[in-house]
Amino acid sequence: MWAIIKKEVKTYFLSPIGYVFIGIFLIAFSISFYLELMYTGGRVQFNYIFTYLPTILSFAILIPLLTMRTFSEERKSGTEQLLLTSPISITKIVIAKFISAVIITLIAIACTSMFLIIIRCFGTLDITAALVTIFGFILLSMAYISIGILASSITENQIIAALITIITFVATWVLPEFLQTGASFSLINMFSKFTTGQINIAYTVTYLAFTVLCLILTITVMQRRKSAK
Amino acid sequence: MHILNYIRGGITLIEVKNVTKKYGNFTAVDNISFDVKDGEIVGLLGPNGAGKSTTMNMITGFIEMTDGEIIVNGYNISKKPSKAKKQIGYMPEGVPSYQELTAKEFIKYMSELKLVDRKIRKEQVQEVIKQIGLEEVQNKLIKNLSRGYKQRVSMAGALVGNPDVLILDEPTVGLDPKQILEIRTLIKELGKKHTVILSSHILSEVSQICDRVVIINNGKIVAIDTPENLEEKSKNKNILYVTVEDKAEKMSSLKDKVKDIQELELVKDNEDGTKQYKVVSEENIDLRKKMFEVLPKEDITIFELKKAEVSLEDAFMKLIGDKNERNEEKEVEQQGNSKDEEENKETKLVENSIEQDQNLRKENIDKNTENQTKSEKQEKGGEE
Repeated sequence: MWAIIKKEVKTYFLSPIGYVFIGIFLIAFSISFYLELMYTGGRVQFNYIFTYLPTILSFAILIPLLTMRTFSEERKSGTEQLLLTSPISITKIVIAKFISAVIITLIAIACTSMFLIIIRCFGTLDITAALVTIFGFILLSMAYISIGILASSITENQIIAALITIITFVATWVLPEFLQTGASFSLINMFSKFTTGQINIAYTVTYLAFTVLCLILTITVMQRRKSAK
Repeated sequence: MHILNYIRGGITLIEVKNVTKKYGNFTAVDNISFDVKDGEIVGLLGPNGAGKSTTMNMITGFIEMTDGEIIVNGYNISKKPSKAKKQIGYMPEGVPSYQELTAKEFIKYMSELKLVDRKIRKEQVQEVIKQIGLEEVQNKLIKNLSRGYKQRVSMAGALVGNPDVLILDEPTVGLDPKQILEIRTLIKELGKKHTVILSSHILSEVSQICDRVVIINNGKIVAIDTPENLEEKSKNKNILYVTVEDKAEKMSSLKDKVKDIQELELVKDNEDGTKQYKVVSEENIDLRKKMFEVLPKEDITIFELKKAEVSLEDAFMKLIGDKNERNEEKEVEQQGNSKDEEENKETKLVENSIEQDQNLRKENIDKNTENQTKSEKQEKGGEE
């Protein structure tokens, strides 16, 4: 399993995807930081940077970029045959792919810590709220990555995989606007509760359950495909 | 090699028992059974779309069979996939590999996927690189390698971890004659230490490399035998090709004069006025002497007379031809029974594909004979 994680993370940085991901995310985050700076007149709060549109939007577009290739590309290039005929089980393969995408996201999130330092030096930093927000953002990323991986296991076309992922995400984003009960399905809505600086156990469990569900579905899809191929 | 097989005890490494694979209503592989003994090189032979790759994909556990079971070195591939897969090194069709890695990185990754012990990993990767002859290109990106090297890298990926069984799907497709020869030598070399199953639609290849041949057509096994035996089996007729100048048109009455002739058929009407005939007789009767005696008396001038060589190609064509004829008969019956238009369309399609197949096969055979003569020449050249 470690072999796959190592290789996947390495491939993210052998191709431009890894750099593009981290780079664009940081640019968007900086823009959000600037907006927060303008809005609050200098009293920036780290946790609110995450709620600005540039951050969310770049996140919505970048995660599919990361996940779209996981299984689609392997299938298209035929390397899926190498992977699935190795002694490593499908469950481990799916988890390894998931972990490697999460690692890239963690690197990007870790890079945002420079803003923590800036705020610490030039303003007042609410470290608890900041950490809770980062925790929530990691949960949100995990849930979103798991959607992406599921989409990638369904199709061998990367673009379609990315589109499915974005559409699912946007759907859970705008659903509450149209449907009252939709609010409980909204990944973003749940995240906004974390930015207040309080860990919400119910939402934490929901995020994790959502992630596990998507991964189990991915494993099922891969196993089903074995007999349908 | 044959004697070696007996010495190595003939332990059955792979058992394929009544395996069927269906895609909806289409049966890709239909109830096939065969086994592969330790140390054998077995060739799966058949036209494109016969079910070779499907069979291999089932043995390697890439796809699940609809019915039946496959046992690799004592492990059932469906029930104990991890252990069974560990016994196998697989080189899929089209030699997929990670283009963005270097040859060495790829082989190392494959060794990690195959759970090779960390302590011996480095050593083993180097060993395989040396064995396959990749030292010069080991640090190049796979996407920059030539087709021949890509093939080798993929084969190295299959070989690393020292599996008992090597499964190579169409190992020589897309290579030039020199590379084909090299890969064949390599496979023969590997066959000394490993059990090899390879698939091919190239007959000369299989007859050169393999100890046993499994001929598959339309998802069914047509024959399992050694290449020599298969050639022997198709040798039940003696065929002569004779080119003559026959101004008096007496050739057609030849059958009455020479009683041993079973069949006389005009093959080609040449522009220079000569005609080529095919003369068929029983296996134990050689008509060559008689032809030289009789024809001049009839005022027929012999331009050329040659005996047709019986090869594995003939055996293959014969076996597959028989099968196709039988299938066509069945289809005709079906047509008679039901007047469903769709079914008619389907059978037409099948017939077309059979025709196309046969054309393709003919082309392949032509190419093969060319390749064979070329490689033979090269071999001779090398010996000198």
